[in-house]
Amino acid sequence: MLLHFEIVTPERVVLKQEVLQLTVPTKQGEITVLPHHIPLIASLQAGVIEIVMPNKQIETMAVSGGFIEVLPTKVVILADTAERAADIDEARAEEARTRAQETMLEKKEHVDFTAIQAKIAKEMARVKAVRRHRGRGSHTT
Amino acid sequence: MASTRDIIRRIKSVKNTKKITQAMELVSAAKMRRAIEAVLATRSYANLSWLTVLNLAEVADRNENLHTLLNPRKEVKKVAIILITSNRGLCGGFNANIISKAVNSIKLHSDVETDCIILGKKGAAINYRYGYNLAAEFEKPDVTNEVEEVIPTARLVINDYLSGKYDKVMLAYTDFISTVKQVPRVKQLLPIDISQKDEYLGVIGSQAGEASTPRFHEGAAMSPEVVSEKQKKHFENREYIFEPSPREVLDEMIPRLVEIQMFQALLESNASEHSARMMAMRNATDAASDMIDDLTLTYNKARQAAITSEIAEIAGGAQALESH
Repeated sequence: MLLHFEIVTPERVVLKQEVLQLTVPTKQGEITVLPHHIPLIASLQAGVIEIVMPNKQIETMAVSGGFIEVLPTKVVILADTAERAADIDEARAEEARTRAQETMLEKKEHVDFTAIQAKIAKEMARVKAVRRHRGRGSHTT
Repeated sequence: MASTRDIIRRIKSVKNTKKITQAMELVSAAKMRRAIEAVLATRSYANLSWLTVLNLAEVADRNENLHTLLNPRKEVKKVAIILITSNRGLCGGFNANIISKAVNSIKLHSDVETDCIILGKKGAAINYRYGYNLAAEFEKPDVTNEVEEVIPTARLVINDYLSGKYDKVMLAYTDFISTVKQVPRVKQLLPIDISQKDEYLGVIGSQAGEASTPRFHEGAAMSPEVVSEKQKKHFENREYIFEPSPREVLDEMIPRLVEIQMFQALLESNASEHSARMMAMRNATDAASDMIDDLTLTYNKARQAAITSEIAEIAGGAQALESH
């Protein structure tokens, strides 16, 4: 039994395919969706999505927030941004995170703190996604 | 008759202009293609988020407590209109059309005060030509491919709407129907009217009764089966679980819907702008070709006349010598 899975951002369709299961970070904690899940709409927080492909391979993605809508045989994620871990450059993600934190620490005036916090969360999610992706890569080989 | 050298000079200058307009046409065609692709890529998100909001509103309806951004206000005192124009000219009637459409829609409701929020430099004409108040002027990037570029504008109107500064927010943009047809449109952005499906949301070139361009549908990212399944679900069984709660999800989802609508309107306007410019430049190129033909004919005539008169002179001279 497979789930029709689709993850879209305002700019594009990031991934659309059949999957076995997926784990997403919702505002109330991580959930794993298997086929025949009850209909659910939840908002997501920045974090890592893990998708189990039909060939048992795990695809890791970083999201920065959005929504998940679950139907018995279909899962749709409306993400603000989504990136595949394989496409993220870890060094640059880490750099972006430090930069965001520095801006936060400098406590400059006229800075939108919630925006920076969101940015930190996003970059942390990206770093985490890459690390998990790498970690698994070394296991299997 | 102008001297042949003058005509040659004119021909040269027209040829140069033609080269430029031809290049601009090609550039606009490429930009237009990119803008169309961008609109198509947003359709999936737009349609899905629209359906989700509908589902949510259906649920929220039961406890009578809809979201503020969904409730129409009883009294409309002040309206904001977001006007999307281009930054540059040389695009035919593109800016004039959208501005006059916006002005007409403002005039329809002359009893309410209207503020204009403009995106794109040419929109300032609504202020200096028609004298409407400008509330904000946002810089429009030349290339739009991220939703982040409309977020400041969306935030502004949402906040002003919530604070009660505006009771309605309209959006004036140019709908891209095909390369030869673009329609200026004014639609209501806030409050969101969930009772009617927004049929123009991300729909390029498919409109009842109007010229549709099927090739744009092929690339459509929206999967109809998702919509149909969701609709079936939506009617058959409304037992959705909401996390954390329907209200909170709506709170987050609705600003997104406003953003995506604005983003799409911006992309549509961009596609329209580039195709309008492409057509204008094509016409200019054609006009230049005609002019070159005309001038070449004049040049040849002038050259022939010069030769004829020269021969006549020589013949006349020879005859004069003979008779002498």
